[in-house]
Amino acid sequence: MAADHLDETYHFIISVFVERGQAPHFTEIAARFGIPVEEGKRRLHELMAARLPNWLFPETDLIASFAPFNNLPTQYRISVDGEHKWFAQCGLESLAMSWMFPGKRVTVNAPCLDCGEPLRVDILDGEIKQADPGDIHFYVDLPIKKWYGNLPFA
Amino acid sequence: MNLFRSKEHVKKWSGFKPGTEAGILTLADALRVMSTPRHRNRLRPDYVSRLPETVPAFVQRLLEVSGNSPFWDLRPD
Repeated sequence: MAADHLDETYHFIISVFVERGQAPHFTEIAARFGIPVEEGKRRLHELMAARLPNWLFPETDLIASFAPFNNLPTQYRISVDGEHKWFAQCGLESLAMSWMFPGKRVTVNAPCLDCGEPLRVDILDGEIKQADPGDIHFYVDLPIKKWYGNLPFA
Repeated sequence: MNLFRSKEHVKKWSGFKPGTEAGILTLADALRVMSTPRHRNRLRPDYVSRLPETVPAFVQRLLEVSGNSPFWDLRPD
């Protein structure tokens, strides 16, 4: 796919996520760019093969995850200025969510996987405004070079 | 790739793997990792084509945050 097609397909998908909290279908990609449906599907698959932290639900043409968003609910619930309709791909990507909503207060609500008790982080334009509790930590058990080997499980 | 209420909770978690302590970051450091152009620029219309330009800053940030830990080193071996 031409680089400009990758750019515009990516930009369309992530913009739809920002607006409605869910991924578009490939037929919407086709409609957006005035191309045949099969071309929309081809664009989707080529973008998803571009080694970005995005993937389809196995053996389908459906977007499962598109960083920082997730199209399936995760434990990382995202609210923007008090409105909840987004889920983050993972704990790390939840912290990148404020870049999707410039000038707005983004809240990450999640349970701690150890104890199940809640944690909350409020971020505005990349700055932590509030964290509860105050000693929240992130953990990944896989060195970063191995993340792309199996992204959904990294 | 998860968030926990504290470092102690990470180490108590049933999924914690001994020997992977380098994979624990403070909230502030994790946010710094996600604050280079690689993540800040996702709304740019030319994000994908300009992605290679974002690699050096991201690699540098990972090394800074981790104290040059091999766990966070993306550079080729």
